[in-house]
Amino acid sequence: MARGARSSPRWAALAAAAAMAVVVAGCGTPTPAPAAAPPDELRLAIGGESEEGYDPTLGWGRYGSPLFQSTLLTRDADLNVVPDLATNYSVSEDGLVWTVDIRTDARFTDGTPVTARDVAYTFSTAARSGGLTDVTALQEAVAVDDDTVELRLTAPQSTFVNRLVSLGIVPEHAHGPDYARNPIGSGPFRFVQWDPGQQLIVERNDDYYGQLPAFRRVVFLFTDEDATVAAATAGQVDVAAVPSSLATATIPGMRLEAVTSVDNRGISFPTVPDTGRTDADGRPIGNDVTSDLAIRQAVNWAVDRQALVDGVLAGYGSPATGPVDGLPWYEPASAIPGNDPARAASILDAAGWVDSDGDGVRERNGVRAAFTLLYRAEDSLRQGLALAVADMVRPVGIDITVSGVSWDAITNRLHADAVVFGWGSHDPTEMYNLYSSRQAGIEFWNPGYYSNPTVDAHLDAAMAATDPEVANRHWRAAQADENGVGFGPAGDAAWAWLVNLQHTYYVDECLDIGRPQIEPHGHGWPITAGITGWRWTC
Amino acid sequence: MTTTIAAQAAEHLPNRRRRTLFWIGAAAAVVLGVVVAGTLSADAAQTTALADRNLGPSAAHPFGTDWLGRDVLARALAGLRLSLLVGTSAALISAAIAVVLACAAVVFGGVVDRIVSWLVDAFLALPHLVLLILLAFALGGGTHAVVIAVAVTHWPTLTRVLRGQARQVMASDYVAVARGLGRSSWAIASTHLARHVLGHVVVGTVLLFPHAILHEAALSFLGLGVDPAEPSIGVLLAESMRYLTAGAWWLALLPGLCLLIVVKLVDTIGENARALVDPRSVHL
Amino acid sequence: MALDLLSPVRVISAVGGRVLRLALLLATVAVASFVLMVNSPVDPVSAYVGADVAVIGPEQRALIAERWGLDDPPLERFGAWLGNLLQGDLGHSLTFNQPVTEVIAQRFLTSLALMSAAWLLSGLIGFALGVLAGVQRGRAADRVVTWWAYTLASAPTFWVGLLLLYVFSVRLGWTPVCCAVPVGVTADEVGLLDRIHHLLLPAVTLSIVGVAPVVLHTRHAVVEALESDYVAFARAQGESTAGVVLHRVLRNAAAPALLLQFSSWGELFGGSVLAEQVFSYPGLGAATTAAALGQDVPLLLGIALFTTVFVFVGNAIGDLVHAQVDPRIRRVGASWRSRGRATAEEVA
Repeated sequence: MARGARSSPRWAALAAAAAMAVVVAGCGTPTPAPAAAPPDELRLAIGGESEEGYDPTLGWGRYGSPLFQSTLLTRDADLNVVPDLATNYSVSEDGLVWTVDIRTDARFTDGTPVTARDVAYTFSTAARSGGLTDVTALQEAVAVDDDTVELRLTAPQSTFVNRLVSLGIVPEHAHGPDYARNPIGSGPFRFVQWDPGQQLIVERNDDYYGQLPAFRRVVFLFTDEDATVAAATAGQVDVAAVPSSLATATIPGMRLEAVTSVDNRGISFPTVPDTGRTDADGRPIGNDVTSDLAIRQAVNWAVDRQALVDGVLAGYGSPATGPVDGLPWYEPASAIPGNDPARAASILDAAGWVDSDGDGVRERNGVRAAFTLLYRAEDSLRQGLALAVADMVRPVGIDITVSGVSWDAITNRLHADAVVFGWGSHDPTEMYNLYSSRQAGIEFWNPGYYSNPTVDAHLDAAMAATDPEVANRHWRAAQADENGVGFGPAGDAAWAWLVNLQHTYYVDECLDIGRPQIEPHGHGWPITAGITGWRWTC
Repeated sequence: MTTTIAAQAAEHLPNRRRRTLFWIGAAAAVVLGVVVAGTLSADAAQTTALADRNLGPSAAHPFGTDWLGRDVLARALAGLRLSLLVGTSAALISAAIAVVLACAAVVFGGVVDRIVSWLVDAFLALPHLVLLILLAFALGGGTHAVVIAVAVTHWPTLTRVLRGQARQVMASDYVAVARGLGRSSWAIASTHLARHVLGHVVVGTVLLFPHAILHEAALSFLGLGVDPAEPSIGVLLAESMRYLTAGAWWLALLPGLCLLIVVKLVDTIGENARALVDPRSVHL
Repeated sequence: MALDLLSPVRVISAVGGRVLRLALLLATVAVASFVLMVNSPVDPVSAYVGADVAVIGPEQRALIAERWGLDDPPLERFGAWLGNLLQGDLGHSLTFNQPVTEVIAQRFLTSLALMSAAWLLSGLIGFALGVLAGVQRGRAADRVVTWWAYTLASAPTFWVGLLLLYVFSVRLGWTPVCCAVPVGVTADEVGLLDRIHHLLLPAVTLSIVGVAPVVLHTRHAVVEALESDYVAFARAQGESTAGVVLHRVLRNAAAPALLLQFSSWGELFGGSVLAEQVFSYPGLGAATTAAALGQDVPLLLGIALFTTVFVFVGNAIGDLVHAQVDPRIRRVGASWRSRGRATAEEVA
């Protein structure tokens, strides 16, 4: 037996206590020779392990590529929706019925064809399963014929298109309790092995109907940040996702790619005064300082976002002006430049906030311009941002007390104190949730009880639209309409958005990963969205 | 060669007593210094200086700085102070529980004794760290959860020791005499037991302290302990893990070394004091 | 010697008594842990949703709670859990989406390699050093070994692990920085040596901390034996020091060391939780941390019960072996037992 023969000299090495020799022998076998022709194996350390397994009906594949399954629609590098398993789709006048035609040449890796019944099964299962994909808008999914499926909704929802983009289709005949550990699908890759907590090994699905990946085998390493850096330094991986604070070293043979994202951080303000009101769970609502528009605008104007990017993000990021910067439904007119303390001061002066007792903090009617800013204690990035923002607004006469607490504590105070949040999604539902008065106080959405009828009207219209272009027009108008009304910093300044992160990856110099999408919240796995187009260049 | 251990240890007693006093003095000085310095550096421990990030040890920052430019020495001192607080409260509470249970077991005997033994066995049935994780989880995590979890799990071994000691006392002739004279259980406990077991209680409390500190650090290191915004040594070491492969060794080495020194100091006192109280236990 | 301990009646009654004790202990642990878990203020759904809070609505949250049976009243949940438990079903892990028994079985096998390696290392090294220190009592070797043991006892396991990781994996590159198997290799291609290579550093870390109590107790036993009357007698008969140590002392010293080693399984497991965290080693210890961080109540309960059995078995074996090895078992056995355990606990 070959391995036995190979093993004996290794044992001798161990016996000689030559630890070095063991390392060389131990690692020598699996590592391909770097100088040879482009290897057909790709190794990625980009996190993203789904500890629950790889079942799309439980939420697998909602970011990046689902690898094993394919989705009805997909987003290209510009985030436009393009067909994938579906050849075409249409939405009824009332927005309630989505009719999808699917291609007939797609097969699952067990050889059976993908039919409309599988699609209907996938959607109805996901709608009922308690996983991480929210398909609760679906009333029923019906296979009209072999290649047509009707998705019937309980209410019009233009953002339902994102379920068509993110939900991988599973085979009805092979979907059971074991599926998550042994996924079968019609995607570009085939499942080989998963060592939970360690690695996932997949191989190219040569029967895939789309563009075939350039790699026969792809290995995903589920290492911690520190081990990822070490693996990259040791040349063991071709792509490594590292936090920007660790992206300082130069690694020979690798380049650093900083990918733009809407993975943003911003401050939510309670927008209503404290009248003693509480929510259903008895949590206090309202803040007498941040409910004043002048205070919120002043914070927005005083903050030097570029300094935050340079200082806290080590340059890997961009100033944020809203929750959806750079996405197809972003409204540039809602932005303000910021870093203008003088303007912030004049806004406060005009609103009657004056420092009459000379303590450096303004007052109005006996109320000090002071509030508390909470952040999740575990998150050192948010801590850095919160501390820096407090320093930036102090000269303007606003006193922010920064406090790092647990999520539980934030949950109890988020309607009454300012909070550093991080959001960022390819689904505008998130924007709806953050600003619609209907969502005030639900989950972590619209924590500040922001409410503006004009904004609400646009958000509702966007949600009910059947045409994506109409929807986008309303999404934009909610940020700032032609009269300047909107939730953005130029309007109601309901939040102070601070920065968008850049996601940093070390990438092998010989690997072309194309032009990545603007990535959502979550650093790592989203980069796989374009994996079928990746190529070796040398 | 056939000198008994006890006799031999007794010969060394004066020497040992002096040594113990020396260590107690040294430890008191260190503990006081840490508490004062930790309190003074509480602000410095959180102050960020984005221009001075990831600096190695230097004259300005003897322990270096972390990724937000915070001074690691200040953070280590603040962390040690927190450790000492957790350790002290945990040791005192555990010792109190142990004294009450051991006395109850011996004085009342019978069913009470069995219940106490059963409680001790039940608490020792699980690996201590698993028990701590369960408790910290049940209490919802955070600093208060760790303090409680550490405090209410360190009493079983001490209870066992005290119960053994107390039993010897109760079996002695003079207690039999006292009983014969019609003294109540409580009277016997408060006079004889207290006097004879006190030394073991003090030593046991001191020796609980290091384990309490180490367990707090372990829980915090796993992310199940002290709120990460508070600089405890466990939190510092958990943070250091991220930067270890990038070469920032000072983040791990120096705060950990501080913890080691404090723990060893207290442990040395405890072992020396134990030698005074119970010469047979000396590791010669 | 001690053969009468093995007579059938004694064995049956001893085993029966132990099984009964274990059953009682398990019942206590089960009820107590369940009460603790149910009263935890932390919401498992929020922990599960995590960063997806942006797009998961209240209806979906309700579905998740329903899937996990979180809506039923606590007593009903306990009844259901207990019923399944009696049939050997520990429930379904929320974090790993897998039956708890499977998670524990798979993860424990991985941990077992780590723990047994560390256990053997600490036992052998600790015993050797303890004998050395005991024989050399008062001399330089003794002082160094004793000082070292006390210092190790004061060092946090995970800190020692971090330092080893930095020196051997980061600076020297001799050992891997993570995992139990090499990168990108399928299960059937992984050689034994690969596994040992990945096991080396975590096992050394785990053993270093377990070594201190063995050293101290062995040393104590050796010193005690060397000063005993029978050794004095043997010396008087002209036996050399080496002969005395070999024939009379080792056996006496081995008993406490063995008892200590077996009764330290609890500390061994606790140490593996920390070591696996440092080295990203995917064993049961890492699963324990993941379960607590992920609010995975069924898995935590399963681990609580499993480790109770684990510790119990260790103690039982320890008592048996101790009875076989130590000729003085009846005289001082009881006191040794409690001392051995107390100290293993203290030094953890």
